[in-house]
Amino acid sequence: MNAKTYIVLIEDEKNICNFIATTLTAQGYKVSAAPNARSGLSLITSGCPDLVLLDLGLPDRDGIEIIREIRTWASIPIIVISARTQEQEKVLALDCGADDYITKPFGSSELMARIRTALRHSNRLQTGSRLNQRPYRANGLVIDFEKRLVTLNGENIHLTQIEFKIVSLLARSSGKVITYDSIISHVWGPYADDNNRILRVNMANIRRKLEQNPAEPHYIFTEIGIGYRMLEDQEG
Amino acid sequence: MQRFLHFLLPKITTKNNRRKDALITLLLLALATALSFLYFRVSRNSANVALLYILALVLIARVTDGYFWGIFASMIGVVCVNFLFTYPYWALNFTLAGYPVTFIGMLAISFITSAAATHMKQQMQMLAERERLLVEAEKEKMRANLLRAISHDLRTPLTGIIGSGASYLENGDALDEKQKKELVKQIYEDSNWLLNMVENLLSVTRIQGGEANVNKSLESVEEVVSEAVIRLKKRLPDARIDVSVPDELILIPMDAILIEQVLINLMENAVLHSKSELPVSCYVEDSENDIIFHVRDYGIGILPERIKTIFDGTAYTGNISADSSRGMGIGLSICKTIISAHKGIIAASPCPQGTDFHFSLPK
Repeated sequence: MNAKTYIVLIEDEKNICNFIATTLTAQGYKVSAAPNARSGLSLITSGCPDLVLLDLGLPDRDGIEIIREIRTWASIPIIVISARTQEQEKVLALDCGADDYITKPFGSSELMARIRTALRHSNRLQTGSRLNQRPYRANGLVIDFEKRLVTLNGENIHLTQIEFKIVSLLARSSGKVITYDSIISHVWGPYADDNNRILRVNMANIRRKLEQNPAEPHYIFTEIGIGYRMLEDQEG
Repeated sequence: MQRFLHFLLPKITTKNNRRKDALITLLLLALATALSFLYFRVSRNSANVALLYILALVLIARVTDGYFWGIFASMIGVVCVNFLFTYPYWALNFTLAGYPVTFIGMLAISFITSAAATHMKQQMQMLAERERLLVEAEKEKMRANLLRAISHDLRTPLTGIIGSGASYLENGDALDEKQKKELVKQIYEDSNWLLNMVENLLSVTRIQGGEANVNKSLESVEEVVSEAVIRLKKRLPDARIDVSVPDELILIPMDAILIEQVLINLMENAVLHSKSELPVSCYVEDSENDIIFHVRDYGIGILPERIKTIFDGTAYTGNISADSSRGMGIGLSICKTIISAHKGIIAASPCPQGTDFHFSLPK
């Protein structure tokens, strides 16, 4: 890391704030913390951070509003910190432009993994890297987007058109959670029925083709009530 | 006059209700008049015409709120009978013999019927209110029981956390690196245990209003099972679990977060308390009317007399030390609450080796 990656943390709980800041600093990031939305937004506008960690339950403003506001002028990755039982809120945050979410309480390793994933994706976007040309590789699974070819441990896997569309969508944002709605509108178009039964059926088929044991997936994980997440691409 | 009207219109009448009552009154009166015309055409008998009006009156008094519309209708009825159906036709003549009797009779009928109807409505309201209070009291009792059990279970890890923390802060200088690490590890483990407990409790708050009132949506069984296994392995990395699901995709209505919680609780109990080296197996069975989830361990088993009350959340008796099974009682009673709210059945069956916990969810 040549220049330290700069992270802005907006979180009102002092203890959590301390813990995150300590962990991040120990890992070599530069961190500024803000206890509320107003000072957080001013930190973002003045400092141009590489990533924002945002707690949705802030005292002065709704977290969703802040995401919307940031998204009007910047594409910095935003990771939302939220409580476990509020799926609706998470889906809303993701659909409003948040990049990922992390559920309270979380360990430092989980947090670091999410931050790395988000940073990697934003770097790819900024440098215009050849993500679309380069195949996805992870644990023996290779997805070649150009040739529309999927192989598992060297063996060809036959996916239908729709199945390939879903898998490649997940693989291109590997490591990030993709909501049901966004998969449906990408694969079946914006006017598709928002009933996600057809998506479940396709997912079940994909799982049976890719995973050894569909009950213990290694490549595509379910985030119940939210969407799917694919194993992070291992070539960065 | 104002006060008199106020007495006639009961307090609960809203503007909307009053409009509805007026409409009903006018409609019934119009109907009675129309029928009377028809009847009068045929038979020329005004006595039965009065009967028709009385019938309308009774209905009005029964349906509307308070006394007002009944009295109003009886006045209109008297005028109508006098005006339309008694000689001289199309003219009012209040000097007719027997006229005051008709008037008083109609008034009395409407008054009595209104009174009876109002009384009945009040009584029904009271009954409903009493029933609600009873249900509320029952719920309150359940909540109190749960709270008592929880605070008992929460105190143990909290004592550990507070003790370790205080010991680290106060005697930090006297402890060596290894002892310090041990203390912090203790805090870490106990807080993880607490978190698990809190998550269980939170899941209960998702069940609003008790039985059969969960937020159900069609969910894929294999996704719920696999997510439960992944989350359990996050907490207990050494846990060994054999999972299998049927070949075809099964979608059934459920609150996935809650069912996941049930699976995690059952698997965690099996891993921690069965004292077995063999992996726990978790599988799903597809039967005609429901889906059955099994969590089977191959450990020491559970005493038959304990199995009967294992889902009740009652204190554990016998020579099992309280610490070794802490939280187990509440976890299972929460499982039972969740499954009954889904209209399913949860049970534990002893096997030759170990125990089979299973629950069913209707398709």
